[in-house]
Amino acid sequence: MSDASVPAVELRDVVKRFDDVVAVDHVSLQIAPGEFFALLGPSGSGKTTTLRMIGGFELPTEGEVLIEGEPQGYKPPYQRPVNTVFQNYALFPHMTVAQNIAFGLEMRGVPKDEIRRRVGEMLNLVRLSGYEKRRPHQLSGGEQQRVALARALINQPKVLLLDEPLGALDLKLRKAMQLELKAIQEQVGITFVYVTHDQEEAITMADRIAVMNHGRVLQVGPPPEVYEQPRTLFVADFIGETNFIPVEVLRVGSTVEVLTAGGARLQAGWAEPSLNAGAPAVAAVRPERMWLHRPNTAPEGGPWNRVEGIVRHVIYHGLDIRYEIHLAGECSLHVRLPVGRGDADVFQRGEHVIVVWPSEATRVFRRDS
Amino acid sequence: MTASAAKVARQHRTRHWLRRGLFVAYGFLGYAFFYLPIVILVIFSFNDSRSVSKWSGFTLRWYEAMLQDHQIMVALWNSVFVAVVSTLIATVLGTLAALALERYRRFPARLFADITLYLPIIIPDIAMAIMLLAFFKLSGIGFQTWKVSIAGLRLAVPYSVIIGHVAFNISFVAVVVRARLAQMDRTLDEAAQDLYATPWRTFWRVTLPLMMPGVLGGALLAFTLSLDDFVITFFTSGAGFNTLPVRVFGMIRKGVTPKINAVSSLMLGFSLLLVTLALLAARGNEDRKIQMF
Repeated sequence: MSDASVPAVELRDVVKRFDDVVAVDHVSLQIAPGEFFALLGPSGSGKTTTLRMIGGFELPTEGEVLIEGEPQGYKPPYQRPVNTVFQNYALFPHMTVAQNIAFGLEMRGVPKDEIRRRVGEMLNLVRLSGYEKRRPHQLSGGEQQRVALARALINQPKVLLLDEPLGALDLKLRKAMQLELKAIQEQVGITFVYVTHDQEEAITMADRIAVMNHGRVLQVGPPPEVYEQPRTLFVADFIGETNFIPVEVLRVGSTVEVLTAGGARLQAGWAEPSLNAGAPAVAAVRPERMWLHRPNTAPEGGPWNRVEGIVRHVIYHGLDIRYEIHLAGECSLHVRLPVGRGDADVFQRGEHVIVVWPSEATRVFRRDS
Repeated sequence: MTASAAKVARQHRTRHWLRRGLFVAYGFLGYAFFYLPIVILVIFSFNDSRSVSKWSGFTLRWYEAMLQDHQIMVALWNSVFVAVVSTLIATVLGTLAALALERYRRFPARLFADITLYLPIIIPDIAMAIMLLAFFKLSGIGFQTWKVSIAGLRLAVPYSVIIGHVAFNISFVAVVVRARLAQMDRTLDEAAQDLYATPWRTFWRVTLPLMMPGVLGGALLAFTLSLDDFVITFFTSGAGFNTLPVRVFGMIRKGVTPKINAVSSLMLGFSLLLVTLALLAARGNEDRKIQMF
């Protein structure tokens, strides 16, 4: 569609201040054409403000927003080649579904015949044919959501901005709409910038994720990278479930070694660059990377970390069993083991176990980060 | 034990009905206090007697007399003319004021504008009337008249009366429109702008249609207030100009006749109709099904 080397959206060192509050703090991003890009963060992280600056609803205090290489400057929303799906859908209550969807084309002076044809196509795309004459208040939440999507997509924007579009839907509908949105995005090939606070949603849908907190972008990357190689404690904590073990750094460099409060030595695959030997730190490990062994069957040597503990809780979850293991030194770990590998592998409450995981699955972070 | 329980239950029942009865009686008294004089007024406008206190049969002759009274008819059309013109002006200005205060949160002297807008609602009519009178005298506007002929009658309406009515009606329109604007979703305006509508087209296609129930409600309220106004009209009209309330006041000094009852009943009916319309328009707020175009 357009030159692939020019980003669909680029933010250059963008800052947004509201009076004394810094909402967005020196954010730089490049979003490729056709990409499904998620801005992920808790509320107040600046993700919605970032989106609103791309749409032109807010102007950056510093820095620049470019769309397809073109600086947007002070351009108002109605002059930008982007469209938005709002959090509450913002459908016009005094217009029918068809009038809502036609609004953008009508404002740009597209001939009536063409508008009618394209509205029909859009209703087809979002599976709402036959709903032309209805009014927004007669639709369910999911239907309103699809009208909002059609109303934006009919304009064939360079970029579609979505502000928590599934936030108001119930869980089951949300899951279905996630798949539907992703399929529609692949079908139309438009760049999506998707704001969400739901890490699972971002991981499922996005090609790349930017994790934001306190107005800063902490990490940008494809979901597996952000999930498996978080670079700050916040990212490790915010995305997925993680075990945190308080440790002291023994050695950094080509190999990283830390000491737990309970006296166990752990090897780590990665440590935050600013850490030095002797510093207090946190070792993070995903629960699904850990295994449990009885003391006599635990593997010796090799690239494994081992800590001893006692099973405190056993929770059956259907697909897996979750164990809470109490370690020496006031710390506990969550371990998830798949169900159905034979009775020998079900551990009992109070049992003495060894928790084993690959040392490369261990990442060490600064405590204050 | 069961006997005493039954007794307690009986006591509760008695108290319950006593409370209920008192409540209903109190309600009736309240309504009687408010509306009995009005009902009597309306009934005696159909009384076939000069006496205002003795019923002697049904007639429509007071209404006929009213229609044939040239001065009353002039006063009636004066009232309507002043109400229509002042309502149109006040509705436009009041709506703009409401938009400014509700939508553009930051402008110099916003708080000042906010407070002064409500002043005409709060200050007594008489104070406002004297202020206006002084203003028209000092400014040299005086009591020049706008000459029009309606329904075969030649009217001479002082501009000062129209300006005076606009002055208090702006506030009422602004209050009603603001209430409507406050409950409107502002992202609708953003959505329109996102869909290539300039601020101008956003206003005509989205903002105005959605705030229309408030604008209509405000206009009807202004119209009613203008029709019913006595004090401000009386002070700002100079000599020889009558609206209906002013005319009734003049007639009443010569004694109460059933003709006055007829005029008052007419005004009452008209006001009730307008207030009902205003309420229905405001009700459109909740009923999103209302079709604007």
